[in-house]
Amino acid sequence: MPDPASAWDDPVATDATGRLFRESVNLASRVASGGGSRRDVWLLQLRSDVLTCIAASDTAAIDDRGPYRVSEHPRFDQAITSGEIVEGDSQAVLPVRAQGTVVGLLVVGGTGGLDIEERDTLTALATIVGLGISQAMTVDELLQETERSRRLERLKSEFLNIAAHELRSPLGIIRGYSSMLSEGMLPERERLVALSRIAEKAEEMARLISDMLETARLETLGLEMELEPVDLVEVIDDAMEAMRPVVGANHRLVLSAPREPIAVVADRARLTTMLTNLIDNAIKYSPAGGAIEIVGEHDGRVASVLVRDHGIGINAEQAHLLFTRFGRLVTPETSHIRGTGLGLYLARETARLHGGDIAVTPTPGGGSTFTVVVPLA
Amino acid sequence: MLEEDVKVLLIEDDVAAAEMYRLRLVADGYSVVIAQDGGEGLRLATEEAPDFIYLDLRLPGLDGFEVLERLRATPETMHVPVIILTNYGEPELRERGMKLGALEFLVKADTTPAQLSASVERSVAPRPLPST
Repeated sequence: MPDPASAWDDPVATDATGRLFRESVNLASRVASGGGSRRDVWLLQLRSDVLTCIAASDTAAIDDRGPYRVSEHPRFDQAITSGEIVEGDSQAVLPVRAQGTVVGLLVVGGTGGLDIEERDTLTALATIVGLGISQAMTVDELLQETERSRRLERLKSEFLNIAAHELRSPLGIIRGYSSMLSEGMLPERERLVALSRIAEKAEEMARLISDMLETARLETLGLEMELEPVDLVEVIDDAMEAMRPVVGANHRLVLSAPREPIAVVADRARLTTMLTNLIDNAIKYSPAGGAIEIVGEHDGRVASVLVRDHGIGINAEQAHLLFTRFGRLVTPETSHIRGTGLGLYLARETARLHGGDIAVTPTPGGGSTFTVVVPLA
Repeated sequence: MLEEDVKVLLIEDDVAAAEMYRLRLVADGYSVVIAQDGGEGLRLATEEAPDFIYLDLRLPGLDGFEVLERLRATPETMHVPVIILTNYGEPELRERGMKLGALEFLVKADTTPAQLSASVERSVAPRPLPST
């Protein structure tokens, strides 16, 4: 069930229900006048154990909007608990129900008891207000559902796009080399090259598929971290080792880290994947080659890993888009570079699920530096 | 025509793919020149006077379609057969490529190096030049 409170606040629902609330309290004020002076009527919204006024009749003083703690007002408490009208000397309190739960109170002020007709009419009004809130809750639920479907629809079409283009590229190499191997046409030296290319491209496909699955899981169920004490320096080593086959002749991976371990609590596999994604990006976006520096360090409070390239660099104004889903920045320099737009999105989600974050800054002299921080254990 | 005389220009920015196709084409007796972006491709198409061109679509700088248009508009390269070789298999891209005068439209993942090499053989066999 959706949170009733959000239905009250929903901007789409507010226009219609807001009017319904105002009309209802004024009508209640008129019917409860008992032929004499009009009574003040308030509509209170219940959120956990706090009541807040969201509508008051024209006669009522609106400066007293609460909030009221239910526990400090026995009559309110009684109406909410019993679900029945509670009448006292100076007040009648009617519960407002939506989808089977008390979500608010209609409070009628003024002295003197209510006659049967007044009581029936007020009860009917409380029901109508409740129905209005039920509608608003349904609208809210539908809006959330629509938004979710829209996101999943987009995800689906982006995944199809990845399958159609990004997965095909390494697949083409794997198929090509394996067909040449099975034809037996390659000399010994080229056979070894072919095998290492196949391994490298299979690795690339595995990374793409894992990114897609992680994103799908994040969208539907959320990621569950498997946290354990981990030495960050070891994780960096693992990531560099995994990327070794991908590093061509014109790139160099350069590590700078302390000799002693950097103890963090982390999901080892996910942290490794994040770093391999960052190194992969550094390679892709420095087509002219050069050093890719990976720095592990800590300041006694947080640990950080820097992945620094000397490549194309990133327009600072657009940098924040990089970490959004499918937020690849496509410029004339980068339009031909393959990518899914998932790696940095997952990197940020992973960093945040570790209680840390990721940021990008320009490398002095050109290129980008990605910095991941996570708390020390 | 002797195969040793046939020169193939590969306009392909994916180094791994270019290297793989080169290996096969060289084994089949063709000589191969590789260009890693559209601009270089156009330059080599004029300088090297290839008999045959493979053209990727997603390229740095000029994309494959722009390269094809310029090849067709240049007298020296106007009649050189061009085969598009890409990761994109969408029918509308295929149609656009064929309209611009490509001889064939091959999807990399579905084309083994042997099939690729065979496509050169087909196209350099005596045949009428493609009309533009």
